Amino acid sequence: MSESKELVTVTVDGTAVQVPKGTNLIEVARKAGVEIPHYCYHPNLSIAGNCRMCQVQVEGMPKLTIACNTGATDGMVVRTQKVSEDVAEAQRATLEFLLINHPLDCTVCDQAGHCKLQDYYYEYNGRASRFVENKVNKIKAEPVGPEVIYDGERCIVCTRCVRFCEEVTETSEFGVFNRGDKSVIGIHPGAELDNPFSGVVVDLCPVGALTHRRWRFNTRIWYTQEVNTVCTGCSTGCNAKVAVRDGKIVQVKARLNEDVNKEWMCDEGRYGFDRFQPKHRVVGPIVSGMDSDWTSAVNSSKALLGGEEPAAVLLSPFLTLEEVWVAMMFARDVMGLDAASGNIAMQLRRRDLSKLEQILVSPDYAPNARAAQLFGLCGNEESWREAVERHYESVLKQISSGSAKRILLVGEGAVAEADCDAALVKGLRSASVSLALCASHPESDPVAAACSVVLPGRTVHEKNGVMLNRDARLQRLRMLLQGPIGTQPEWMLLANLASGLGKKILPAEVTDDRGLFRAMTGSLESLSGATLVRIGDSGIELEEAAGGKDGSSDPAAV
Amino acid sequence: MKHLKILTANVHHDDQIELDAYERRGGYQAIRKVLKMDPAEVTAEVKASGLRGRGGAGFPTGVKWGFVPKNTGKPIYLLNNADESEPGTFKDRLLMERDPHLVIEGMMIAAWALGANWCCAYIRGEYSFPALMQQRAVDQAYEKGYLGKNIFGSGFDLDIVVHRGAGAYICGEETGLIESLEGNKGQPRIKPPFPAVVGLYGCPTVVNNTETLAALPWIMLNGASSYNSIGTEKSTGTKLFSASGHIKKPGVYEVNMGYPILDFINNECGGMRGDKALKAVITGGSSVPVLRADELEGVTLDYESCMEAGTFVGSGGFIVMDETTDMVEACLNLQHFYSHESCGQCTPCREGAHWVEKIVGRIYHGGGSSSDLSLIGDVTKQIAGHTICPFGDALVVPVQSFYKKFPEEFNERIDSALVSQIGNTHV
Amino acid sequence: MTEHKSSNGTVPTLSAAAEDRLKQLVSRYPRSKSAIMPALYIAQEELGWINDAAVHWVADRLSLPLAHVIQVATFYTMYYKQPVGKYHIQVCRTLSCMICGAKDLTAHIKQRLKIGAHEVTNDGVWSFEEVECLGSCGTAPMVQINDVFFENLTPESLDALMDRIEKEQPDLRYSTVRQDLGAGLSGEPKSRLYTAPVES
Repeated sequence: MSESKELVTVTVDGTAVQVPKGTNLIEVARKAGVEIPHYCYHPNLSIAGNCRMCQVQVEGMPKLTIACNTGATDGMVVRTQKVSEDVAEAQRATLEFLLINHPLDCTVCDQAGHCKLQDYYYEYNGRASRFVENKVNKIKAEPVGPEVIYDGERCIVCTRCVRFCEEVTETSEFGVFNRGDKSVIGIHPGAELDNPFSGVVVDLCPVGALTHRRWRFNTRIWYTQEVNTVCTGCSTGCNAKVAVRDGKIVQVKARLNEDVNKEWMCDEGRYGFDRFQPKHRVVGPIVSGMDSDWTSAVNSSKALLGGEEPAAVLLSPFLTLEEVWVAMMFARDVMGLDAASGNIAMQLRRRDLSKLEQILVSPDYAPNARAAQLFGLCGNEESWREAVERHYESVLKQISSGSAKRILLVGEGAVAEADCDAALVKGLRSASVSLALCASHPESDPVAAACSVVLPGRTVHEKNGVMLNRDARLQRLRMLLQGPIGTQPEWMLLANLASGLGKKILPAEVTDDRGLFRAMTGSLESLSGATLVRIGDSGIELEEAAGGKDGSSDPAAV
Repeated sequence: MKHLKILTANVHHDDQIELDAYERRGGYQAIRKVLKMDPAEVTAEVKASGLRGRGGAGFPTGVKWGFVPKNTGKPIYLLNNADESEPGTFKDRLLMERDPHLVIEGMMIAAWALGANWCCAYIRGEYSFPALMQQRAVDQAYEKGYLGKNIFGSGFDLDIVVHRGAGAYICGEETGLIESLEGNKGQPRIKPPFPAVVGLYGCPTVVNNTETLAALPWIMLNGASSYNSIGTEKSTGTKLFSASGHIKKPGVYEVNMGYPILDFINNECGGMRGDKALKAVITGGSSVPVLRADELEGVTLDYESCMEAGTFVGSGGFIVMDETTDMVEACLNLQHFYSHESCGQCTPCREGAHWVEKIVGRIYHGGGSSSDLSLIGDVTKQIAGHTICPFGDALVVPVQSFYKKFPEEFNERIDSALVSQIGNTHV
Repeated sequence: MTEHKSSNGTVPTLSAAAEDRLKQLVSRYPRSKSAIMPALYIAQEELGWINDAAVHWVADRLSLPLAHVIQVATFYTMYYKQPVGKYHIQVCRTLSCMICGAKDLTAHIKQRLKIGAHEVTNDGVWSFEEVECLGSCGTAPMVQINDVFFENLTPESLDALMDRIEKEQPDLRYSTVRQDLGAGLSGEPKSRLYTAPVES
């Protein structure tokens, strides 16, 4: 593709659009509001040109041409299937060809309902196949790795999976074995598709040839609700589409976002998506290890109120940005602390990554840790991750040394599991008050068990809000699951607790997460240009969120 | 008619495979001359000769060379396409087996003109013996210092590698050949870019057929005007035709372009075997449309006349069929060839090649119906022009032309199939 | 042929001549990956067919992914994906040979050997398959046995040829390792074996 910045005008089905010279016609048409169907093309893989589904007519060219391999030139006139019968006929034929050796097993295929062969056939062909001979028998239901299973008969040999493993992970597990209509995707019999991004090939597969072993046959996709959210496995914030059914996460797909994760996602994030749901939940206030009520919880938290006793606040990196904002106000108005006082920190432990993981995964388990920087919790250092961790260690020490007497732990994961040692437990127990807002029940969580008061919080999948990823990009986190009855998102717990303690930290009109977002952006200059609409499904950079930057010129901001 | 022997003057000498014998008969003189010329002059001479690619496409060789960009800082590669796999074609084999030094000298001339220092002869895998003979000749040339560094004291370096394919028709397509030589499956590339700009290892590359290259020494020694004085205006020089089928004297013949087809059959080919009646001819390998006997009058072996007659010179694979030939079976035979050789990369060819074979197969085996003919029409129309490489265009040629030229044989099969099906209902 | 056990996942060592030959070949190409086809030939010649050991050997020597070696080996028909007989007959079946009697040759082979295509006779001597145009149309019908073309055949002459081969057990390979002209049947001048159709 051309790197040229030169803009050219291309007409697609009568609509003129301006695009950088050399932009491929699939993207050009997309800009003109026309979808050109395709299988093998992917914006982040090399051009294979093999599926022939994206053929279009370009004025002046003798034959139909594939849109994916045709670059825009000035004055180009393109006709798609919408206006050209030749193109429509070629696409109908391509679909009929593809169906020749494709089994009609949609009734048992996991891909049914989100299958591009199904969708396009319905949309662009809709006729019965004229192929009456026997189909070629190929390899079926063959596990190719710990997570992925292959069906050769369903495969349309678009080679997206092969190219992903060659070009992105550079692990090259796959090849196209044999030739002609015997072609199948193959792997060496002794090898496995076990790279850290193996699940991506399932997302890339336009048909049901590659499916998830662990989610096989678990649902028809049309019985699920698909939610656009972000992965909370690390601070990369990969865009994901999560299918939820009957209160369970049943499938996770990566979502295309050029600026964040292309359309990739690591297996740890994908297959571990529901790892943030503890089995044993706290569903009501717990005081001194006993089930209790709000009144006693508030009474037992009075010692938090500003005083001479040293305090420590640890924030979970799984909190939303709004919740961090509320927690900061709580710390200021209730506990008399501020960011500069050095006793508020966000939990972050760096981790080692293999070279391959580094292409996408961040060296942390802290999806919203960059928020610490936004709220002044780690200075303004280049290496924010080290700084956040250093501050976390420092506050942790204040607790385990026994010096902190007023302790607030906000959110599931405010203390990393590995950091919960005897000294910490002792520090929590010896404090005047140690309040934990979390999802795990003290019986299964030693940190909560050591706290004097526990309030029933929500997990990261049970709330709406925005997250700030490692590149300071604001992205929307969406609620996937209902929190159990009795639980509240942490911001609400904090606001209620504050008012119980006689402090008002949020305006009365804030009653839901949208109101909370508006209140936050209204009070923070750095976010004053941000709206949920603008952030949308693909996020915006923090710079763009600052007031006046270009917010007003964006029609979506209205 | 007296045909000029440009390519086959010495193939009947058993010792022609030896370097000294080749040189004794005037070999390696053209390259000595060429190395004193400016490469651009060589290209101009080849352009003026009117020499066209002998592999099948017939593209003017000098023009093709002219597409190579100069001064890109990248090496330029010359590839000798000896992946002779077009059914009915065995002419390059003759050159490699019987006059391999002529091929080498041709490669040297082209390499000089292009500025290529590495050249590869890609020989189809089944040609073990031709490859061996070619390798033997290359080894002799290295030993004598005619290849390697500083050829004939000119300062020009050239390495030639003999590379064997391994059984894939598609490697005769130039980008399939390049992919194969790079160590991949021989699946053609999408174009643009074209090999002249982005070819082997991403570098400018020219792929020329063996016969094309073998014509260069004569052209450079005798001059473009001597070459283009033979043949017709747009088809200059001589061409090798590989004659096979129901003829008395099958073999490779070098004839002047413009030679009448019927003369070729009756003289060079010795007429029909068993004196049976001529039924059909394929002039240029299985990928060109078949001609009926009654269409041959006045057709001559050159690009213009063949095209006017609705076919092509192609590779010069000249297959003659007599009255005993079952044209449905012949058609099925070729459709099987194409479905077997489809590389499987792009949808219409991967799926369509086999579908077409199956439809023709059921007609041949008595299970066809009249709707199959329109189905063939639809399917072939959607394969041709819709694939990555010209294989898609080639694979529809037999079925389209055989049915068009011999509809009665297809209809008869279909009609008798209907009769037998009706008959069966009474059993 | 040297006997090698195909140990799963380990790279075999081929004969010194084969290893040397590959090294020499690799040096001829601008990039070593280009040597994959000759490397597969060498492995096939040493191991009899492209088994797992062959795949590992080629992948290791050329630093290529295993899947890549398999995809190349399975794309080209001349790499055997299963064992073949000591003499592997390839009958050309394409048009010129077909109309000159190739079907009779195939029928005769089946009748004589009592095996189907891609099967090996019990004694391991013979196997056969039908292949597409071998570029010997002027001398149709014909077969290729190992590396050698036998042309202008009839069922009778093919039968006689097979008798001779069984009796003399000649080496019908143009070895990729040895690179000499050693192939041939005794008493048969090479020029006869390799007759190219030249106009008379």
